[in-house]
Amino acid sequence: MFKVSLKNVLRPGFAGGTFKSGYRFQKYWDTPMATAFFCGETGAGLFIVSMLMDFLPGIILGLLITGVGKTFFHLTHMGVPSKAWRALLRPDRSWISRGLWGIVFFVGFGSIHVLGMLFNVVPAGLESAVYILAIAGAMVVVTYQGFAMSHSTAISFWSTGLMPISSMLYGLLMGTSLVLVLSLLGFSISNPEYFSMVGLAQIALIIAVQICLLSLLHGAKNGSKGAQQSYILLVKDFLARPFLFGVVGIGSIIPLLILLFIPTNFITSLIVTGCIMLGFYLFRLLIFKAGVLDPILSPADIFKR
Amino acid sequence: MTRYGMVFDIKRCIGCNACTVACKQENSLPDGVFFTRTLSAESGEYPNVSRTYLPTICNHCEDAPCEKVCPSGATWTRDDGIVMVDGDKCIGCGSCAVACPYDMRTQIEETQITNGLFGDGKLTPFEEQGYSRFECGSFTKCDFCSERVDGGLDPACVATCPTDARVFGDLDDPDSKVSRLIRDRMGRQPLPEKNTRPKVYYID
Ligand code: SF4
Ligand code: SF4
Repeated sequence: MFKVSLKNVLRPGFAGGTFKSGYRFQKYWDTPMATAFFCGETGAGLFIVSMLMDFLPGIILGLLITGVGKTFFHLTHMGVPSKAWRALLRPDRSWISRGLWGIVFFVGFGSIHVLGMLFNVVPAGLESAVYILAIAGAMVVVTYQGFAMSHSTAISFWSTGLMPISSMLYGLLMGTSLVLVLSLLGFSISNPEYFSMVGLAQIALIIAVQICLLSLLHGAKNGSKGAQQSYILLVKDFLARPFLFGVVGIGSIIPLLILLFIPTNFITSLIVTGCIMLGFYLFRLLIFKAGVLDPILSPADIFKR
Repeated sequence: MTRYGMVFDIKRCIGCNACTVACKQENSLPDGVFFTRTLSAESGEYPNVSRTYLPTICNHCEDAPCEKVCPSGATWTRDDGIVMVDGDKCIGCGSCAVACPYDMRTQIEETQITNGLFGDGKLTPFEEQGYSRFECGSFTKCDFCSERVDGGLDPACVATCPTDARVFGDLDDPDSKVSRLIRDRMGRQPLPEKNTRPKVYYID
């Protein structure tokens, strides 16, 4: 439906892979990386929300989505997957490295926590330490991808503190949505009061995501030339349809309207979660696709020719 | 202490791309991989238009973002300021490529190596010996021809440039040609707003 393949897309002012000076798309972080980010934030968000509610099905699913899904897509993306372990080596300076440590803590201590819940194998004194380390790992996983993007000044559109915030908000939104679907599927939440609280949190998070999207676009529109190109791509050019209809419309406005005006049942909850999931996945993909590098050097700018 | 850098004289560059070819030859670069490119840029409005040629290369940034984001330690900086990539350590995550504001990182794809320059899957002896330095899937970039520099030679692009538009030397030596050109002709760095402190300068 949407044409979002970017390799060598040439647009006015864009140099692509040619020997011309102009804007260039970043092309190395593409669909597999976007999918890995999507899985990481979804899994960690679901894990955090479920941990706060002692909701075992959500905890296990969150661990699986991140541990299996994210890892798989990262390895698919990586040029030399056999050396993936080397990404652990520089947590002192690299967000990718820090994130990998986060995944190790999250999956490692999260799994121990699950074993403790199922078989009571964790010694009583260590339970809270395991719990805290697992949550801390999940917090790193749900935000580090945004930090990795915002850390780079190369792509002005990404170089904003809103990146980790959007990661966190989307992760938690996916978490609350999946918890509600799972509970309506018959997996019972320990305290029924949690159900309405999670429902309210879901509405608040959708509104927060909308504010975040607007702020991102506003920042890009008024940012450097590269960021302005990203804004044009997302709002007026060939990424506008998937972004405006997919991310904004289906991904946040429709779910909000359903939640506000239609009584919650399994079907509406499923539709809302499906819409949010689609919107979030498109968001991840399109933010990568709209990553634009400024012209390396323009004589008009530098030498005022 | 030595701190290598390069100066591009835009007035002298005629856009012949001899540097590009010399670099490909020196480094045995596979099809589609370039460590240096001379870009063309049109400016002005009809009838007052002009075309300028802009040689580009890894800027061996002082504050290299590609090094900061590299999770494996594959990217590192020598004492003389040359930013290196160790292909054996690179995991091909692409973080450096996304972090480099100058688009100077390239991934070596397996097909680029196996297809060969003629695209028929048969490698020439030149390619066979040259490609052994690349790890498929890893990222690579210009290293200022570090082996030539260590042997007291200029990088291949500088040695080849027929108009002397490329000058290589020690930025820390106030009497070197690069330092004098930067000082006398107001050398400017590319995208200074990115805070990478490039060691490549342009003069006009
Ligand atoms: S130009 Fe790019 S690849 Fe070269 S040192 Fe700077 S950031 Fe790294
Ligand atoms: S692709 Fe290689 S050199 Fe680049 S950041 Fe990843 S590990 Fe480092």
